[in-house]
Amino acid sequence: MSGSIEVRGLSRTFHTTVRRPGFLGAVRSLVNPERVAKHAVRDISFDVAAGELLALLGPNGAGKSTTIKVLTGILTPTSGEARVAGVVPYEERERNARNIGAVFGQRTQLWWDLPVRESFAILRDIYEVPKAEHAARLKEFDELLDLSSFWDTRVRHLSLGQRVRSDLAAALLHDPPVVFLDEPTIGMDVVVKEQVREFLRYQVSERGRTVLLTTHDMTEVERLAERVVLINHGRLVLDGPLDEIRRKFGSTWQVRATLADAHADVVPLPGIAVLRQDGPQVVFGPDGPDAPTVHQALKAVIERYEVTGIAIDEAELEDVMRAAYAQAGPVAEPVAEPVAEGA
Amino acid sequence: MALLHAWRTARVTPLGELHTPPRMTAVLLRLTVQVVLVASLWHGLYSHTGTTAGLSEDQAVTYAVLAVLASRLRELDQYAGRDTVLQHMHFGTIVYWYLRPLPPQRYHALRAVGEQLYGFAWALGGYAVCLAAGVVEPPRSAAVAGVFALSLVLGQLVLYFVMLVLDQLCFWTVRNTAAALILIFAQNLLSGVYAPLWFFPDWFITMSGFLPFQATLSVPLSLYIGRIPLSDAPAQLAIQAVWVVLLFLFTRFLWRQAARRVISQGG
Repeated sequence: MSGSIEVRGLSRTFHTTVRRPGFLGAVRSLVNPERVAKHAVRDISFDVAAGELLALLGPNGAGKSTTIKVLTGILTPTSGEARVAGVVPYEERERNARNIGAVFGQRTQLWWDLPVRESFAILRDIYEVPKAEHAARLKEFDELLDLSSFWDTRVRHLSLGQRVRSDLAAALLHDPPVVFLDEPTIGMDVVVKEQVREFLRYQVSERGRTVLLTTHDMTEVERLAERVVLINHGRLVLDGPLDEIRRKFGSTWQVRATLADAHADVVPLPGIAVLRQDGPQVVFGPDGPDAPTVHQALKAVIERYEVTGIAIDEAELEDVMRAAYAQAGPVAEPVAEPVAEGA
Repeated sequence: MALLHAWRTARVTPLGELHTPPRMTAVLLRLTVQVVLVASLWHGLYSHTGTTAGLSEDQAVTYAVLAVLASRLRELDQYAGRDTVLQHMHFGTIVYWYLRPLPPQRYHALRAVGEQLYGFAWALGGYAVCLAAGVVEPPRSAAVAGVFALSLVLGQLVLYFVMLVLDQLCFWTVRNTAAALILIFAQNLLSGVYAPLWFFPDWFITMSGFLPFQATLSVPLSLYIGRIPLSDAPAQLAIQAVWVVLLFLFTRFLWRQAARRVISQGG
């Protein structure tokens, strides 16, 4: 079965009641409630090929979780359509459930009072997985996530890292071609994070699963995703390889040069500004929207000046994303518009 | 396979309880204390009187003790296991109910079946001890026992649906604590857990007839002690069955509406 994801012109609007501030405001809201429409997602389109890991990025309130909820069948879009492994998720929720696995951050789907292995057995029966297949998959997951060291422990006694590893296994026990991970490593220590990343890499490269990942951890994005979709204010801002995002928003580099002539007359170059000068030490940086890449700048500086030493500082992905979010618009709640009566 | 997944899901609560012996000890203690106190209370109340409200002392004590035992049939064991609708809405884990190929309403019902079977084992054990100790009277005939068993099953179905409405309320209000306090009090009072309905004024009994609560416990227990004669049993069973059908249809409607609400609260 193909695990591709197709999203076309997806929009979702929520209607909520605005609570006015103060006591009188609360009374007014009670008597005469003001309803507003919140556009969580607006006209989003993208594809994820089978066996691809895509990072869905954006600031808080951008519409990532709403998108995932539509794709998991929990939410019906206001307009547009989506297909996951050939199924329209919100029209055939149960059929879609067999094709997908999901982990929502720190929210566990395991049974709190039971040992982890009992939860796995319940899910095995719910998804009607043959016993031998279940055992083989559990063995494979144990090798990757070291589950057997704690799978006889009740879920309420697990550490966060153990619980998330168990949840990852639980989400994949029925062998779904598509996996949705909404901030799966939030709050975990670096060792467990790396273990989880290795597990995800394996699931994509060896098992051919399609993974849609949302995260605020840029290290995770760098290690796992080749392609990202960036959304903000519910709109798609960028869809492309990580390199493209770096090219477009990562112009925060610096070139540190030590000039041979300490008294040289240093002037700006096209698209390159002089940020600081202290004797022979000069720091160059990008100037304007047509600034060159860091490597082009390096070449330009060397060609223009005689240098005895040179170093470059590239922006971290986190800086790049900050720039991307800023250029895509201020980080804010989804836009709200008043709704006509009866809406 | 379908049976197997039903079995696994149904045994979640009993298994959770078996993994937590202190909870079982607490249940044992509570039942023992309640049975002793209730039996003493009703013996005391009847010490200077004969038949009251159509009930003899033995009938009243049997009714009251059976009411205590029956209250164990469906307690909210799910709460300790963080598996109530209220908790799932609060923690946002309700989304997982909608991500499985098992519809939420079936999952909820299977969990309840397991709980009620587990509670039934407790009630049956308590009943056997009370019967052997002479605290309660046996049913007067095999026919009474059979009608009582059928009425008890119907009563438990009515109780399940009433409590389900309370759970479903969470999809609209997130919290149902206030409603739960009101409903549980009404259920205990109007089903005759606190005292047999026969002791209440006529208008109260008439009013109760229009509500589902007396169908949960008062009817089966009254059939057991003979306060409702066997000749009236068919009509009472029919009323119980009507409540089951009505509440089933109502809760099915609410499940459909709830599916549209799950996304905006706790998702």
